[in-house]
Amino acid sequence: MTDVAQLASSLRRGTLEFCVLAMVEREDIYGTEIVRRLGEERSLASTEGTIYPLLSRLRRVGWLNSKWSESPAGPPRRYYSLTDSGRAALSAFRAEWTSFRQTVDRLVGTGGA
Amino acid sequence: MSIQKTDVVGEYLREVELRLSGLPLLQRHELLADLSAHIETARERGAYSDSEMIEVLQRLGSPEAIAAAAYWEAGPQPPRATPTPPPPPAPRGGVPPWVIFMITGIFVVFLLGLGAAVAMVRVSDAPAPAQDMVEQAPVKPDPLPTR
Repeated sequence: MTDVAQLASSLRRGTLEFCVLAMVEREDIYGTEIVRRLGEERSLASTEGTIYPLLSRLRRVGWLNSKWSESPAGPPRRYYSLTDSGRAALSAFRAEWTSFRQTVDRLVGTGGA
Repeated sequence: MSIQKTDVVGEYLREVELRLSGLPLLQRHELLADLSAHIETARERGAYSDSEMIEVLQRLGSPEAIAAAAYWEAGPQPPRATPTPPPPPAPRGGVPPWVIFMITGIFVVFLLGLGAAVAMVRVSDAPAPAQDMVEQAPVKPDPLPTR
């Protein structure tokens, strides 16, 4: 059980942030909404509260911008948007991931066909 | 009811904050603001009861898990700001003062009773209690000789 949980967490580490970048790519989204959408993905199985430190780091490395904005109802929301370097990082990941996935699929035998 | 709900949330945020002492001030505040906004949003969406709010907090994760993620994402900190283990929570409650007072009182009464019993036994056993007084007198330490 623990091994399975650890495997999922190892796979998540290093890929989850690009899922976040892709989520923000087309439209600005506020933090709680990012957390909610990720929470709906069962295979990511991320603890919601751990996403906020991740968002914080992506902002600190300059891949995301954030700004607080009043919401029509409820508390102010922190909206995230993709910076130019975030966009570059995302496209580098896409290239890397595609060849990485193909290699793993071939070696592990998960490629289907 | 509303007070209790606030208590659960307040205690949760305090528990998280306790564990973030090794993080730079602004990162700590940023995370707490994010968590507060998250909780507030859940409340706006109808998490009114205590049990619903606890569910929201459970999905957020334990204070330990959140702090671990915060340290992980913060990367290595300068030595001054190395993550310090959270101080053990101060023992709550403990023995109320009145209990100590009562136990002391009972003990004193017991001692007094014991003393009285011993005195009575002595009175009946020793025919000359005055002698005791006489014997005790010389035991008194002499004052130091002055030179």
